[in-house]
Amino acid sequence: MAKPISNIKKYEKTHEEEIDQNVAEVKAAVSDNKDAILKGIQLLKALEEGGTLDTAYAFTKKKKEALGYVVEEISKEQYTPLLKNLPELIFLLGEIDVKALREFSSKLNQGLEQMDTGASEEKTGFLDLAKALKDPEINRSITMLLQFLRGMGR
Amino acid sequence: MSERDHNVVWINNREYLADPEQNLLDLINSTGEHVPQICYNESLGPIQTCDTCIVQVDGELKRACGTRVKPGMKVVTGLERVHKAQKEALDRILENHELYCTVCDYNNGSCEIHNTMAAFGLEHQSRPFQPTSYEVDRSGSFYRYDPDQCILCGRCVEVCQDVQVNETLTIDWDRQQPRVIWDNDVPMDQSSCVNCGQCSTVCPCNAMMEKGMEKEAGFLTNQEPGILKSMIELTKKVETGYGPLFAVSDTEAAMREEVIDKKKTVCTYCGVGCSFDVWTKGRKILKVEPHPHSPANGISTCVKGKFGWDYVNSEERLTKPLIRREDHFEEVDWDEAISYVAQRFSEIKKEKGSDHLAFISSSKATNEESYLMQKLSRQVIGTNNVDNCSRYCQAPATMGLFRTVGYGGDSGSISDIAEAKLVLTVGSNTAESHPVLASKIKRSQKLFGHKLYVFDLRKHEMAKRADRFFQPKPGTDLVWLSAITKYILDQGWHDQTFLQEWVNGLEDYRSSLEPFTLEYASDMTGISAEELKELAEEVAHAESVAICWAMGVTQHVRGSDTSTAISNLLLITGNYGKPGTGAYPLRGHNNVQGCSDFGSMPNFFPGYEKVTENDVRKRYEAAWKVVLPEEIGMDNHEMIEAIHKGELSSMYVMGEDTGVVDANINYVTAAFEKLDFFVVQDLFLTKTAEYADVVLPASPSLEKEGTFTNTERRIQRLYQSFPPLEGTNPDWKIIQLIAKEMGHDWGYTHPSEIMEEAASLAPLFAGVSYERLEGYQSLQWPVAADGTDQPLLFTEGFPFEDGKARLYPVDFELTHDTDEEYDLHVNNGRLLEHFHEGNMTYKSEGITRKTPRAFIEISEDLAEERGLEEGAKVKLISRTGEAVGHVTVTDRVKGKEIFIPLNDNDELSINLLTDNRVDKDSNTPAYKEIAVKMKVLKKKGKSPIPANNHRRGNPVPQISVNVEKKWGRADYEFPGSKVDR
Repeated sequence: MAKPISNIKKYEKTHEEEIDQNVAEVKAAVSDNKDAILKGIQLLKALEEGGTLDTAYAFTKKKKEALGYVVEEISKEQYTPLLKNLPELIFLLGEIDVKALREFSSKLNQGLEQMDTGASEEKTGFLDLAKALKDPEINRSITMLLQFLRGMGR
Repeated sequence: MSERDHNVVWINNREYLADPEQNLLDLINSTGEHVPQICYNESLGPIQTCDTCIVQVDGELKRACGTRVKPGMKVVTGLERVHKAQKEALDRILENHELYCTVCDYNNGSCEIHNTMAAFGLEHQSRPFQPTSYEVDRSGSFYRYDPDQCILCGRCVEVCQDVQVNETLTIDWDRQQPRVIWDNDVPMDQSSCVNCGQCSTVCPCNAMMEKGMEKEAGFLTNQEPGILKSMIELTKKVETGYGPLFAVSDTEAAMREEVIDKKKTVCTYCGVGCSFDVWTKGRKILKVEPHPHSPANGISTCVKGKFGWDYVNSEERLTKPLIRREDHFEEVDWDEAISYVAQRFSEIKKEKGSDHLAFISSSKATNEESYLMQKLSRQVIGTNNVDNCSRYCQAPATMGLFRTVGYGGDSGSISDIAEAKLVLTVGSNTAESHPVLASKIKRSQKLFGHKLYVFDLRKHEMAKRADRFFQPKPGTDLVWLSAITKYILDQGWHDQTFLQEWVNGLEDYRSSLEPFTLEYASDMTGISAEELKELAEEVAHAESVAICWAMGVTQHVRGSDTSTAISNLLLITGNYGKPGTGAYPLRGHNNVQGCSDFGSMPNFFPGYEKVTENDVRKRYEAAWKVVLPEEIGMDNHEMIEAIHKGELSSMYVMGEDTGVVDANINYVTAAFEKLDFFVVQDLFLTKTAEYADVVLPASPSLEKEGTFTNTERRIQRLYQSFPPLEGTNPDWKIIQLIAKEMGHDWGYTHPSEIMEEAASLAPLFAGVSYERLEGYQSLQWPVAADGTDQPLLFTEGFPFEDGKARLYPVDFELTHDTDEEYDLHVNNGRLLEHFHEGNMTYKSEGITRKTPRAFIEISEDLAEERGLEEGAKVKLISRTGEAVGHVTVTDRVKGKEIFIPLNDNDELSINLLTDNRVDKDSNTPAYKEIAVKMKVLKKKGKSPIPANNHRRGNPVPQISVNVEKKWGRADYEFPGSKVDR
């Protein structure tokens, strides 16, 4: 005679059994993914050495709040121009001839270096300027600047 | 020359052949030309609200979706003015819809606004987004509506009005800011909405969205509302054009693919066999997404399939096998449980013989699991005592069809029912029991003028919609069916050519109809002779007739005979083997059909081959390497009787709450108490499981692979959405473990191997294989070895030796069920939102908050007579038991008829009242023949139907979305006209 019953005596795993089972699962996973885990350790090490791990940890822990603060702050009126500019800037970068810019900036650097060597107290008169135009280096620079101004004005 | 050849249409100076009257946008889409389109959806047809598909047709700008092709038509899609008009239309859409894709839960690669804008290359918005003054409506259980994101495309309205035909949604074009409204503008929760969810399925964006998606789908969407709003503002500030915005959101959408899994499954809630993708994140179900090419349902679903899956993650799931120890169950591990079961089975087999064991398969489990259950029974145990729950519902229909046409299944597809010029439903509450199939009937009636005649005791939704509604007296359907068949023959309206070519036994049958005169029928059924004549005329002269029937026919003492009478009528009128015709016994559960198909029946091997036939048995003996029993086994009903008689000692029940769903459950559970050994396999500790000696925790459909066969004989695959809940196993694995423990190592590693074996043994499924069923592909049996299936049966004759169907005479004798003492007739059936005894659907909070329990429907007359009001508490007492519940007074039932939903497993379980009477030919319980007396416990009280139940809503029927009203607004101008000004 089997009367209906509904109480269940739960099979309670002991704490040790649970630990054993979990460790076994982790062990199997480690063994299955040995390479990835070793690489993961390398990655963690690199992050730790650079100090990034702490930052990432803190940020992840507080992700929601942090994101909230950032979004709230950045949504303020004063950032609107910045936000509008940001993408524009990105597009600008896309259009600039970087190679030409690099040449130009290396020339700028040379100029700066030269500037350091000259005596700053010296005064330059109009004649000095005319004379200087004969210096091929100065002449090249002036010509280049004039070309640049012409191009910009177009 | 075909008609197509006359329809040359020029698109961008190239010639195309079109179908006559073809929709122009349809044609353009088939050519590879690209035209933007948002409101247009293949499954819905043209709605003409979004104006984005404007093209130049013979010099004029027109909506492509609103244009039908004409021979010689010249269409241009690439002109500047076309482009300008399209852009204007797209701009208008973005006035209504804010683009914040990256933080939008709908950004899953399928947002049609996003994709259309991106494909068009729209870079900037000409006019700013204009929010409405409306709040988001999140009052409902399962989806929410955000008017600020709604582009008023009207797809939701179209699907609600003309596909689901629930007629809840409209767009109010007359107000300053038009919006979608529910009924006459009430919150969605208070409306007639049945939560079929199709509005959220077809919505092209995030306006109508499943709540399960909210804060879940995206990486950045799970934010506090305040922050989310700031982020939306932010994404808008950062954008300098839509290009970069789309690039970022596309990347995010692609990332989502990594965490959201989309697997096809087949619904478990009725025999229609809807298929859809289930979106999951871990074990969380985000949404159910039907596929336009889902063969049975297309984009349609009902509330259960779309939203009723909470039970899968219910806390009440069993996660360890249980063994009875005196007054309690003890959780044990699988090894212990399986070896205990095997040992007890072996002992009983040895001591008392194989036939002292019996097996019950589940119509909720897969074909493969049914196959294994009968294999366990026959091969391992050596008995034919194996059956399934179709015995409770549709076995009589199968019997009626076997007698007459030879195949026990629907004779066509659901599309044939939709195509039929006249549909008769008999004893079927189709709109609640087979909602998606019902909506196809409703659509054909509403849009295409097909006729619907309903025969039922109860004035349910289909009855209210019917062109004609008949309420024959309980259990008398056989009489009117036979009487109109006789009248048709007498008038000479029968299909003589068809009968001559395809049917045997006309003369015997004709004479068997003698007693069924109109007068007799009118007396018995209460339908007047005049009405019967009209009915006969309509049926005889309709171009195509399909008859759908369900439990209102089968669960009677004459269930098989009435099913036979239906088939006879169809034969006489030639309504077999042609599109739009045939017999449709609507199967109740997802796999009622398949469970019987795959051999869980006491008299049949898989594919309905008799166990008594030597050749067949030899084939299985060779394959299974055992000697098989020759005698027909016991069916469910006989098993219970045998237990009481001491002839059956052990039962193994898989996925069936027999102790609730079998008739006269007091008698059934008394039998369980007498069993020596009782094994129950289920998701939960069901009422039946409480009697078990061993309970084995199984995994539901979403956790396994396999196939189901729907009411159309359509075999469809289901894929695993997530692994079985820890500690549970799919039924096929459990059965296999038991077999192995008993010395038969089957060694299946995947259900496909089981199907392979079944297909190799049963000719009916010869060509069935998992490869042929990949994804949304399906096969409708019989399937020939080369994979040819039969969506429509009997096009080339009937499966008898001479290829001819047989008219099968039936007779009738009135059995009164009510008398002076037991004076009320109780009818029972399904509710839309619950399934079976409710073990699954009552786990859904969204469903139970609207439909918390079963109830007792009584007529206004009876209420008055007994002095009852809404909410009264009554006790119903039958000859076998009693049940208690709360009353609702409705016009759905009349006189002394009472209706109780069968979806309850508590004190209002209908089977507390039912008795042991059965269909005389199939042993299906006569659930529908119960007489009771009523004892009033309380005269009135709180209504058992809450105020937010859809039955209290007020639908607003109309066709489509009334786009003319939009066009008539003072602030509307056709983008095409604006461009040309």
